[in-house]
Amino acid sequence: MEWSIGDESERYSVVMSNDGEAMSLSNITMDGQEIEPPNLQVSSDASSGRLIVEIEGIPKFAHVARVGDDWWIHLDGRAHVVKGYEKGSQKGQEADSGLTAPMPGTILEVSVKKGQRVREGQTLMVMEAMKMEHKIQAPSNGEVSQVHFQEGDRVDMGSVLIELAD
Amino acid sequence: MFPEWMQGAPYRFDTVLVANRGEIAVRVLRAVKEAGLRAVAVYSKPDSESLHVEIADEAILLPDGPLSENYLNQEAIIEAARTSGAGAIHPGYGFLSERADFARAVSDSEIIWIGPGAESIEVMGDKISARSRMISSGVPVIPGDEVSIPEGGAHLGPLAVAAAKVGYPLLLKASAGGGGKGMRVVREPKMLRTEYEAAAREATAAFGDGTVYVERLLTGARHVEIQVLADTHGNCIHLNERDCSLQRRHQKVIEEAPSPGVSDSVRSSMGDAAVLAAKAVNYVGAGTVEFLLSSNGEFFFLEMNTRLQVEHPVTEMITGVDLVQKQLEIASGLEMGISQDQVTISGHAIEARIYAEDATRGFLPAIGTLSTWVAPSGPGIRVDSGVRQGDEVTVNFDPMLAKLVVHAPTRKSAIRRLDSALSNFVALGVVTNISFLRNAASHPAFLSGNITTDLLDSSDISEFRDPEPPTKALVSIAEAALRMGLDKTHSGVAGNPVDEHTGHSGDPFRTLSRSYP
Repeated sequence: MEWSIGDESERYSVVMSNDGEAMSLSNITMDGQEIEPPNLQVSSDASSGRLIVEIEGIPKFAHVARVGDDWWIHLDGRAHVVKGYEKGSQKGQEADSGLTAPMPGTILEVSVKKGQRVREGQTLMVMEAMKMEHKIQAPSNGEVSQVHFQEGDRVDMGSVLIELAD
Repeated sequence: MFPEWMQGAPYRFDTVLVANRGEIAVRVLRAVKEAGLRAVAVYSKPDSESLHVEIADEAILLPDGPLSENYLNQEAIIEAARTSGAGAIHPGYGFLSERADFARAVSDSEIIWIGPGAESIEVMGDKISARSRMISSGVPVIPGDEVSIPEGGAHLGPLAVAAAKVGYPLLLKASAGGGGKGMRVVREPKMLRTEYEAAAREATAAFGDGTVYVERLLTGARHVEIQVLADTHGNCIHLNERDCSLQRRHQKVIEEAPSPGVSDSVRSSMGDAAVLAAKAVNYVGAGTVEFLLSSNGEFFFLEMNTRLQVEHPVTEMITGVDLVQKQLEIASGLEMGISQDQVTISGHAIEARIYAEDATRGFLPAIGTLSTWVAPSGPGIRVDSGVRQGDEVTVNFDPMLAKLVVHAPTRKSAIRRLDSALSNFVALGVVTNISFLRNAASHPAFLSGNITTDLLDSSDISEFRDPEPPTKALVSIAEAALRMGLDKTHSGVAGNPVDEHTGHSGDPFRTLSRSYP
């Protein structure tokens, strides 16, 4: 597996070796480049779904939960999402030109037309989800190449709402 | 059977129906049971498995469909009270808690309404009538002009005139609004129409009433509110202030008591004003009078919330008064049994609201399954939660999952306790604001106590950004977890694992062999 953290694009590969009950980190690469591995062991705390992580000799608990290919890890008082990919899979799964619905909801307003030039930050659509309004804004300057929904339409999370071309 | 504390009460009841869901339903249902009464929950189908249903003595299913069919369905809730034999209804906050018609319908059905009378709700629920009542009672109000825009407002003439008179920046509010819904800041005249339309839409969606109200926006002010308590015998006291200045888009994020910006003299005059406000509407029960406190110590009436507040626990922590228990006593017609000079302040309490939302994406509400949910515990830590591990967080309801409340001798020690408790709060599977709360609570402005309501909205979000993640450790943990097949071994009750050797749940000696971070 290859891993990335949150929204960061770097891909990591990790080699762990079995060390009795624990696993030791023996090699780590970032985007194919080897980076300095810390002295790190991971062992299981079987009854609770936690792992015990020893980093440079300091033991810590990590709560771990898997949701699909995402690993949710709570370490040092913060939760993180580590995403797993098959080795060599494409970077960035979705076409990045499409603007998707961040939540299921209803389209309240379509502020632009197909073919219209838009500026970065310009509001393209307004949708309502969880009783609050959310503006869908242009991530960059461009031209609207597709508008997939109109006012009053219900949309699912992740639906491509609008597409921009450079 | 009535509990012993209710024996001499004029209006006795042995069963209370709680017309709410989530953490507040859980909080109130527990208090009802503690008071020796039967606790009845109501729920809609998606909530069948939820915590408030689980802890109730009896739970009644409301009709399927949108909120208007269940949690806002007055007839169905009153019918549920009848079938369950509930002699009283507690509305919690939100939903029907500030609906005068519901309060009236409950009373007309010979059921005790745990809250103020319908007239008090009516006067305070309408911002314009509340304002004029406050003016005539001598409670200071925000400088500005008042205007009411009829629903559907195709012509914005009266609004534009009023807006020009009040001056920009201004605040557009839904007259029946609250919780940041239907409230918009208008910084310049050309934005008036767009923001008005947005406010009207939000208000309609959330409250079934599209009327808006305009008022001058005071910047650089604190939001300080006073908890009041009044009984049917004419006693009315205040239980000090709460500071709710740390807000985002008019939604409170962190609340504390006492306020770091309130001196003894301001506390006493603001407390007097709050009691005056409550008495002006013949208030009964627990209520909150909200004020804006400007930097020169002047304060202005904002509104009165005629119900229990989300942040009521901070007051309970510093005063030692259980507000829900007091609501029950007052509803039964007893005297409140506490006088103004018995109200004290002990230490400092802070509440952080745990929301399912993504601070890195404009605080967008998040959904998913709470695959891990371990709330912190320990001295001075209270968690009011409406969810359990394994629960689904959906778009159907408010994204607030829980409230973390800490209590410590001083503000500084309370902040340290808050940070420690937040870092031990494990919520996985759903994006939450826990990390953001840690960042906010360690922001220099919050540490100094110098918070104004516009801090979060006017600051660069990068000031609240998470520290760099421990990348190498995280990817190693993911790899190890994958190879250990950890995803298949997920079981056990959070925070209370069964000991492998003794078979006992929550073995008290278990922690001795563990080195907690």
